[in-house]
Amino acid sequence: MADQHITLSVFRYRPGDDVDPVFQDYQVPYHDDWVVLDALNWIKESVDGTLAYRWSCRMGVCGSCGMMVNGKPLLSCAAFLRDYYPEPIRVEPLTNFPVERDLIITLDGFLEKLKSVKPWVIRDDVNGTDSEFLQTPAQLSRFKQYSMCINCMLCYAACPVVGLEPKFVGPAALALGLRYNLDSRDHGNAERQSVLGSDEGAMSCTFVGECTTVCPKNVDPAGAVQQEKVASVNDWYASVLMPWGRR
Amino acid sequence: MRKPYWREISSTWYLSSWPYRWFMVREMTSVFIGAYLVLLVMWLFRLAAGAQSFEQMLVAMRSPLSVVFHAIVLAAALYHSITWFNLTPKVMPVRIGEERLPDPLVAIGMGYLPWVVLSALVVWGVLR
Amino acid sequence: MKRSGTRSNEAFWWSLFSAGGVMSALFVPVLIVLTGFVLPFAGDPAASYHRVAHALSFWVVRIVLLGIVTLSFFHCAHRIRHVLPTVGLRITPGLLAVLCYGGAFAGSVATFAALVRL
Repeated sequence: MADQHITLSVFRYRPGDDVDPVFQDYQVPYHDDWVVLDALNWIKESVDGTLAYRWSCRMGVCGSCGMMVNGKPLLSCAAFLRDYYPEPIRVEPLTNFPVERDLIITLDGFLEKLKSVKPWVIRDDVNGTDSEFLQTPAQLSRFKQYSMCINCMLCYAACPVVGLEPKFVGPAALALGLRYNLDSRDHGNAERQSVLGSDEGAMSCTFVGECTTVCPKNVDPAGAVQQEKVASVNDWYASVLMPWGRR
Repeated sequence: MRKPYWREISSTWYLSSWPYRWFMVREMTSVFIGAYLVLLVMWLFRLAAGAQSFEQMLVAMRSPLSVVFHAIVLAAALYHSITWFNLTPKVMPVRIGEERLPDPLVAIGMGYLPWVVLSALVVWGVLR
Repeated sequence: MKRSGTRSNEAFWWSLFSAGGVMSALFVPVLIVLTGFVLPFAGDPAASYHRVAHALSFWVVRIVLLGIVTLSFFHCAHRIRHVLPTVGLRITPGLLAVLCYGGAFAGSVATFAALVRL
């Protein structure tokens, strides 16, 4: 069988050298068990060592290799060349993020948003406990789905509100906030509400739902955000109808 | 050196994929439903104005323009109803113990079933 | 337990949107079918008038209809308010909110006026 090839058209941006990005085409050997990440690694090792991109586990658990493949946000380690062959594959950095270099996006803003929802167990008891926290399987199942996020940011690339309103906290961070709000060990709902229930929080979501569609871990961030909207409504009415201090 | 490159969001972003297009269709149903509600209010005023006024309006509503308008509005309203009921289980998940009730079950129980029952009730209430 | 800080009033408008979404999803299709197709073509307009007038003679029915129409107006207003800026409409957010919810309020008042007159 003759050697088969497939074209990768890759977004290149070199700060200081390029004013605007360009697309660079590479002819990559085609193997039906290769993924886009294999093709990028082949390019970097054999053809163009200057190509810059993030990756790590190559098996869909680290969340490092998110990028746009033919306009769709995917993990490059999960995008098989055979699903595109023989057509060329366009590879770009994740939408809605600034580009540092080539396929690498600036994720400072995303990390700030994650931090803003206080993603740790918040307790009422100041001095802590002597023993471990006990949790039943039923209590675990309430929040487990929302704990599966690998911070790959595909949901941010898929969400039009993230693009249109840069201050929007976003799907992954909001799902993470719900993960802790639903955790039986946590007492931090009220503390998180100032972010989750704010204009930049759950209330900015218009339930497009693409975040859930692209999530590789079935976190269902869209569902999480809607639940937070309902919780915010309850919180609002409680604060208006019962303005005296609670709990 | 760091010199991040900002890519612009297209002003026609909602045309760039089928999911986005269908999202915009769903949002636009509110324009059609809103228009129908305005006409419904005018319909109520005609009812209040008496039998002659109301009956004249009913006859006028046999026009092709009225029929086409209502067909379009009905399509929009149906799309709103179906998308709304299908999304309801995500807004209000129903948990029993460790398990979460399957979404289709919740959509039927909290959406489609009441829809059929209430629609039948309204038809009976008006036409009996 | 300390109270949360900034509380957005957006949650209030979303609660109206949500309730209105349910009302319009459940009732608007059958209302369209009745008012747009069945009643205009159902033979005798006089009989239709009596049927409708009788159905709306009950105060409970008028109150329910007022609730359905009012919430549906606010549902549409909220959706329109949020979608217009994303398709490129340039307008100060406060003005847009006033126009949308003000319109819904006007529609609700008109509905009330019509129902009281029946």
